[in-house]
Amino acid sequence: MKRFLILLLFPILLGNVSAGSVNQIELDGSVGYRQVGIEMVLSEPATNGTYYEIRMNDSEFSRTEDSLLHSVIIVGETAGLMQPEMGDWYDDCHYVLGDDIFVPIHRKSDGTGVVPNGTVSIGCTLTGIPSGQEYYFAVLTIHSNGTEVISPVILSSSTTEDTLVAPLKTSPYLFAIGSISLSLIALLYGLRWLDYRDGRTTSKGAHFYIAPALLSLAVLTFYPVIYGIWLALTDADQSRLGEHVFVGLENFFTVFSTSGFLRVTGFTLLWTVVNVVSHISFGLLLALALNKSGLRGKTAYRTILLLPWAIPSYITVLVWRGMFEPAGAINDLLGTDLNLLADANGARFAVILVNIWLGIPFMMMSISGALQALPKEMYEAAEVDGIGTLGQFRHLTLPNLRSALVPLSLLGFIWTFNMFNVIYLMTDGGPNLDFDGPGSTDILITYVYDVAFRDGAYGVAAAWSVVIFVMLVVFSWTYMKRTNATEAVT
Amino acid sequence: MPFILVFLLLLPGCVSPDSSIEENDTGTVSLVVWHSFATESKELATFESQIARFMASNPGVEVETSAIPFSEAARQFMIAAQGGEAPDVVRLSSDQLGEIGEVRVGGQSLLEDLKPHLTPIERSKFDARALNAMKYEGDLLGIPASQDCLSLIFNPLLFDAAGVDYPSENWTLNDMVSAASQLTQGDVHGLAMPVKNAYWWFGFQAGYGGSLFDENGTPTLDSNGSAEAMDWMIDLEMTHGVVQTGTQSESMKTQFLSSKAAMVVDGPWNWATYEAGRIPLQQSILPIVDSTGERVSPLVTYKGWSVSKQSSQKEWSVRLALHLSSSESQREFALETYTMPTHVDVYVDSEVAQNPVISGFLEQLMVGFPAPTTEAMSMVYDPLGTAFENVYSGELDATTALAAADAALESDLEGGG
Repeated sequence: MKRFLILLLFPILLGNVSAGSVNQIELDGSVGYRQVGIEMVLSEPATNGTYYEIRMNDSEFSRTEDSLLHSVIIVGETAGLMQPEMGDWYDDCHYVLGDDIFVPIHRKSDGTGVVPNGTVSIGCTLTGIPSGQEYYFAVLTIHSNGTEVISPVILSSSTTEDTLVAPLKTSPYLFAIGSISLSLIALLYGLRWLDYRDGRTTSKGAHFYIAPALLSLAVLTFYPVIYGIWLALTDADQSRLGEHVFVGLENFFTVFSTSGFLRVTGFTLLWTVVNVVSHISFGLLLALALNKSGLRGKTAYRTILLLPWAIPSYITVLVWRGMFEPAGAINDLLGTDLNLLADANGARFAVILVNIWLGIPFMMMSISGALQALPKEMYEAAEVDGIGTLGQFRHLTLPNLRSALVPLSLLGFIWTFNMFNVIYLMTDGGPNLDFDGPGSTDILITYVYDVAFRDGAYGVAAAWSVVIFVMLVVFSWTYMKRTNATEAVT
Repeated sequence: MPFILVFLLLLPGCVSPDSSIEENDTGTVSLVVWHSFATESKELATFESQIARFMASNPGVEVETSAIPFSEAARQFMIAAQGGEAPDVVRLSSDQLGEIGEVRVGGQSLLEDLKPHLTPIERSKFDARALNAMKYEGDLLGIPASQDCLSLIFNPLLFDAAGVDYPSENWTLNDMVSAASQLTQGDVHGLAMPVKNAYWWFGFQAGYGGSLFDENGTPTLDSNGSAEAMDWMIDLEMTHGVVQTGTQSESMKTQFLSSKAAMVVDGPWNWATYEAGRIPLQQSILPIVDSTGERVSPLVTYKGWSVSKQSSQKEWSVRLALHLSSSESQREFALETYTMPTHVDVYVDSEVAQNPVISGFLEQLMVGFPAPTTEAMSMVYDPLGTAFENVYSGELDATTALAAADAALESDLEGGG
C-alpha cells in the first residue's frame, strides 16, 4: 500500500524537476548489513554550487523538515581534494560524467563528497541504516540560487542481516573428554568383569566407588595434559585460533633455540635450589627453636612467624616491591640510594629473598608437627647415654624427620619451580636486557606466560610447558627412586 | 552403573552451545561493557551517569559494566573473545587496535567494522584525525571518545619559592633542565618523569628529529635523533640528578602530589587527581629541542568505544558507543575530568574553549603526532623497553641499543609477532 502511494506521488514530484536536479533514484537494500545502495540520476548535468541532501525517515514525508539528513554531496571544484579508491573510505560513492565511467567521488577534509561540474549520475552506499526496518528515502536538490527540488520518495530497507560469529566448536573437546571418560568406564567395567570371573567378589562396589575420582582425574588432569601435548605439536597462535595445524616438533626446536634458554633454565634451578634449601634450613631451625621445652610464648611466636604465609602473597610481594624501590624503606634504613630492581643481579637477589621469606612459615609448621611426634623417651635415653645436643640432632632428630623432610623437599621443589606470582609481581621478569629473550629474573614458568599471553604463541608456550613437565617428572622420579620417598611416607 | 554415567557424560553435549541468549523473555536487551576507568575516580562516576542516562532513555536495555586495567584491556579482550566471552562494547586505545585487528578466531576478526553502522553525518561529528586513528586495515574499529598526550604540568608554588620563572612556550630543553636543577633542593626534585618509559620518549624522539616508522611502516628506531633523545632522558636522572632515581609512572604521580617534584611530564588524565590533592597547578606546552629547533611532539593516542564482532546486539551496541562518544558525553567528560574531546561540536563549545586547562592541552595535542594504528605500534614497546634497560644499566650505549631494538622489531614483524 505504501509503495502504491509513493508511485502516486512520483508523477506529481516529477513536475518540480529543474536543471541538474535528481529526478530518479533507485535503491538496493541488499548491498550489505546496515547499508542501502542508491543511484541518483540527474535531469541534466550538474552545475557548480548545487548540492544534494540525501534524506530519510521511518515514515512517509514530503517536506525536508520531516526527515533526517543522511549525507550531503556538493557539486564543485575537485582539484586538490582527496579521491579515495573504492573501499578505502568509510562508505563508497562514485559519479558518472557522461562517458559511463564510474569515478570515485572526491572528498573534503570533513568527508563531504564532491562531484565535478557536468556529473550526470551519482551512486552511493548509504551506511548507518537500521537493519530490517523500512525507511523512506529521497534526495533534495538545492541549487545555487536557493531553489529546492525533491526527488521521488522511495521506500526501502537494508535486507542483509548481521553475520553473527559462529559459536566456538566445542564438539572436538567434548568428544575428547567423552572418549577418555568412556575408555576409563570401559576399563573399570572390564576390571569388574575380571574380578567377577576370578571370584573376587568381596568388594563388589569397589569400581563404582573409585569411578568418580577417576573421572574427575580424566577431565581435570589427563585431558589438559594430553591437550597441552597436542597443542605443542601445532602452530596454534592467537592471531588464528581454531585454524592451527600439526607442525611436528617445530615448537620444541623453537624452545631449545630460544636465546637465553640455558640462562632461564639455569636461573630456574638456582631459584629453586636456593629457595628450597633456605626454606627447609630456616624452617627446621625455627621449628627446633619453638620445640624447645620451657620456651614461653610459643603460640605467640608461631602466630607471628605464620604471618608471611597468612597474608595473601600478592599483598606482601607488592609491599616488598615498594620497600625495594629507590625511595623505599630499605634504602631509608640503610641510608643508601640503591635501585636493586633495576639491576639484573640485584633483582635476582631481591626475588629470591622475598620468596624465602614467604616460604619459611609453611616448612616451619610442617617440621614442627613432625618434631612433636618424635618420642621424648628417645631423647631422655640419649641424655642418659651422655649424647650432647648436636649429637642428638644429628643421630636422632634428623633421621627421624627424614620421613617428613623428603616429601616436603620434593613438594617444595615442585612448588618453587612453578612459583609464578612472586616474580610476576616483583619484577615481571625484568630487567629485560635480552632482546627477544627471557628477562633477567624470568624463570621458566613466568617466561611461558610471556610467550603465551604477550606473544600469543600458544603452540610454542605449550611446548615450553611440556619441557617443564618433563623436567619435573624426571626430577621427581629420580628423587623418589634415590630417596625412597614414597616408602618413607608409608 | 556405567550406562548411567555414560548418559550423564553425554548429556552436556546435547545442550546447544548457543543456548545463552542476550534478549530475555521480557524483550530486554542486555549489553556488557568493559571500561578502564579507575575505581572511585571522577571518570568512573561520569561514565556511570552516562550509562544510567542511556538506560533511562532506552527502557528495554540493561547495561552491565565491568572495569579492567587499561594496560590489560587489549589482552583481556582477546582472551575473552577467544573463549567466545567477549563483551559487547569495550573501551580501547587506538594503539591497541593494530594488535587486536590481527587476531582471528575461527577465521573471524574480533572487532566489528563500524563503517556500515555510521551515517556520514554521524561520522562528520568527529575529528577526522581521531576517526582515522581508529581505522585498521580499512576497518573502523572504534568510535573515538577522547584523545590525550603528555604535556608539562608544574607547581607554581615551588617555582615561586625557588625564584624560578614559570615555563613558557619559548622554553627549550636546556631551559627546562636549568630550571629543574635550580628547583632540585633537599628532597624536592625539579622534574618527575619515568626516564626509562618509551611512551614518554616518543615525544622527545620526535623533537630530536627521530621517528618510529617510515612511510612504508618499516621501523626507524635507530636514528641519531632517537639515540640523542634516549640519552637526554636517562641523563635527567643519571647525570643531572633532577629526576629522582627509579621514578616510574606511579611514583611520578606520588612525588608531584606530595610536592616533592616541581614539574611533571604527564597527561590530562591525572589533572583531576592532582587537583583533588589540593596542590596549585599550571600547564605549559612542552619545550623546544635546542639542537633541532623542533618542539617536543608527544604521541597522541585516541580512546574510543569498540563493538565486539561476537555481539548479538550490534545495533544496540553501536547506539551505546555513539551515546558514550556523543557531544553531550564528551562535553561532560571534558568539563568534569579534563578528558580531551574528539567531537568537533565540543571543540567549539564556549565553556570548553574558555577552560584554560582544556584549551592548554588541546594546544599541546595540536603539536603531537597520532600513534600509528598498526600492529607494529603495539609491538614497539617490548624492544624499546629492553633498549632502555640496557642503556640505563650501562650495558649498551643508546645507538647500539636502539639498533638492536630496531632489528628485534623487524624480526618480530617478519615472524608475525
